[in-house]
Amino acid sequence: MHRLIRVAMALGSGLLICGEVAAQGAACPVKIGGVLPLTGSMAPITKKIAQAAELAIEHVNQGGGVKGCPVQFVLRDDQGQPTVGVDAAKYLVEVERVPAFTGTISSGITGPIISSVTAPSKVVQITCCSTASPFTLDGRSAGYFFRTIPTSKTQAYATASETTKRGLKKTAVIYVNTDFGTDMLRFYKAALAKLGGEIAVEVPYNDNQPSYRAEVSKALAAKPESLLLIGFPKDAVTIVREWLSLGGPRAIALNNSMRTMDFVNGVGAKFVEDFFGMDNAQVAGPHVDAFNKSFEEKFKADSKGPGVHTQYDALMVMALAMNIAKDLTGPSIKDAVRLVHVPNGAPVGTGPGEFKKALELIKAGKPIKYFGATGPIEFDANGDVTGPALVWKVKDGQIVTDRTITIEEMQALFRRIEN
Amino acid sequence: MLTGVFSYLVFFCCIVLVLGILTLGLNLQWGFTGLFNAGIVGFYAIGAYTHAILTAAPQPQYLGNLGLPWIVGIAAAMAATALAAWVIGLLTIRLRGDYLAIATFGIAVSIQLVALNWEPLTGGSQGLSRIPKPLSGVFDTPLSFNLWFLCLLAVLVAAIYFALERILRSPWGRVLKAIREDETAAVALGKSARRFRLEAFVLGSTLMGLAGALYVSFIGFVSPFDFLPILTFQVWAMLIAGGSGNNRGALLGALVVWAIWSASGVAVTKLVPPSHAAQGAAVQVILIGLLLIFVLLYRPHGLLGEAAVVSRHAAD
Repeated sequence: MHRLIRVAMALGSGLLICGEVAAQGAACPVKIGGVLPLTGSMAPITKKIAQAAELAIEHVNQGGGVKGCPVQFVLRDDQGQPTVGVDAAKYLVEVERVPAFTGTISSGITGPIISSVTAPSKVVQITCCSTASPFTLDGRSAGYFFRTIPTSKTQAYATASETTKRGLKKTAVIYVNTDFGTDMLRFYKAALAKLGGEIAVEVPYNDNQPSYRAEVSKALAAKPESLLLIGFPKDAVTIVREWLSLGGPRAIALNNSMRTMDFVNGVGAKFVEDFFGMDNAQVAGPHVDAFNKSFEEKFKADSKGPGVHTQYDALMVMALAMNIAKDLTGPSIKDAVRLVHVPNGAPVGTGPGEFKKALELIKAGKPIKYFGATGPIEFDANGDVTGPALVWKVKDGQIVTDRTITIEEMQALFRRIEN
Repeated sequence: MLTGVFSYLVFFCCIVLVLGILTLGLNLQWGFTGLFNAGIVGFYAIGAYTHAILTAAPQPQYLGNLGLPWIVGIAAAMAATALAAWVIGLLTIRLRGDYLAIATFGIAVSIQLVALNWEPLTGGSQGLSRIPKPLSGVFDTPLSFNLWFLCLLAVLVAAIYFALERILRSPWGRVLKAIREDETAAVALGKSARRFRLEAFVLGSTLMGLAGALYVSFIGFVSPFDFLPILTFQVWAMLIAGGSGNNRGALLGALVVWAIWSASGVAVTKLVPPSHAAQGAAVQVILIGLLLIFVLLYRPHGLLGEAAVVSRHAAD
């Protein structure tokens, strides 16, 4: 038995050291790390997000790689468990020596990674999808953490603006009891306080339950005239069906995760015609279309879904920053991230051709201005992005955009709510 | 550089030792006393949150965050978990086997939900951050801090191990085994099964609370997401695979099972190209299950079975 343990330990260390020696040989390939919930409750959303990541790496390599070397993407699963995610991130940073990594989706896992791996080891981390606002606002990441997704603040403010614009009164709010849901609710309430509007009742729910009759009944007991539902598609379908079957009003507002055919078909396309939802807008334009087209060509599926565009941008920004940085150390890359979008820079977009163009500009020492799959990517002092929002609805069984709220309108809205 | 591998292994061993303390606590409860505790993660959470609430840097929106020293947090975490275990033990003491498992499982889920909802105290779903790491001012690089913390954990685990071995070879430990093997006989000999079972439950749970406090002061951040039932089952796997009823087995089980979890992830990245990463990750989960089954098929009593204890008068 002891022999078995010795053999197992030898195999394990062998695996680790193999990876090490291979990496020691030359500077190429440059590794970029990734931690995503490939299994677990988030897995259905992560599939497309991982595909977007793969597409980004492919475009980077076709466009010239990083510092003349091809990029190798090392993707680990966090299984939806913080300890596993932290272990994976530490492995990527220490053993694979990734100069930067992307990850993860759930804020409950991103949080420990920031405080035990990213900040102490001074490695740049860019997340596509973690929206908990404190990560960038309370200084815990020492500037090494960025995100290409606006925090729930943008969505919540836009939602409040839309619900008041449509005259929705006495709104019941049913929200998922995670950092995402509570963040959205908090900002929504703050916005409503300034814009005018009334919340009839707030009902939290825990995800992955077979029935939400209790929560829906509690919400309906307050006799609301509308519903704001904040959560994720699978449970949202259950909630909406129970809401409708108990005779709840059809004025229903949704958040971005519901913008998927899984939700529409789950509830039934003919029932959702009165609903509307918000999302961070992918600014329509040639760069967004180019991304959508290359995604559809490669994976034979549409690119709609949470996190897909932001993940692509996270990796493109990372690769551009790694090329701009004078070397591949954490502090250099951190400083280079904001140089990916300089006001007087030459515009570069998505796709391998544009990446090649960007590399030539970088080599010539000229500034660039990256327009990604989510529009212009500009990080503020905290590492957050702001962006336009859109209102979507379902028409004839298809998800369509009702109207877009431009960046200028969003900025005006922010000023109105926060002053 | 190989220092990267070393740095990672130090970090890995810190996690293993924290999980080892959890497994030692469970071993006392199940391996020696036969208490089926399926609420490990609840006691882990009480220890973790007590430490976090007492030591985190003050913030206006939270009731706690008292910024007290690390050692106060550790001591308070153990005390709070002991008190909670005593109350829960009194309530569940008459339950046997499966019923105790369901009760403790439900209690653990309730504790996690309290942590999720009691926002002014626990930070709710956002969790609590900026929990100070002990002596992080002195050891300010990740490697030096992790090495120092590993030494601290090694000393603690050694102390706990020797203390447990001592207690279990004492008259108190023998009564525990007697109760586990044949409770009627033990009671007939005048031992209060209730009292011993409660003591073992409280002591084991206190160790779990200590593990929670240590984990939180190592990572620096805590959220309700850290306390989902999967951890309970991981610790059970560690104990069963390592050998229940054997303290060295408990520690070995923690090492082997966590190594399986971690190495399977590494193996998938080496063997599967990123385009199939999602499938590879699913295979990793299958692989973990297969390896656990393999361990138990090969060693049904765990890697290190319980040492048979025979009375020295047996030959008489």
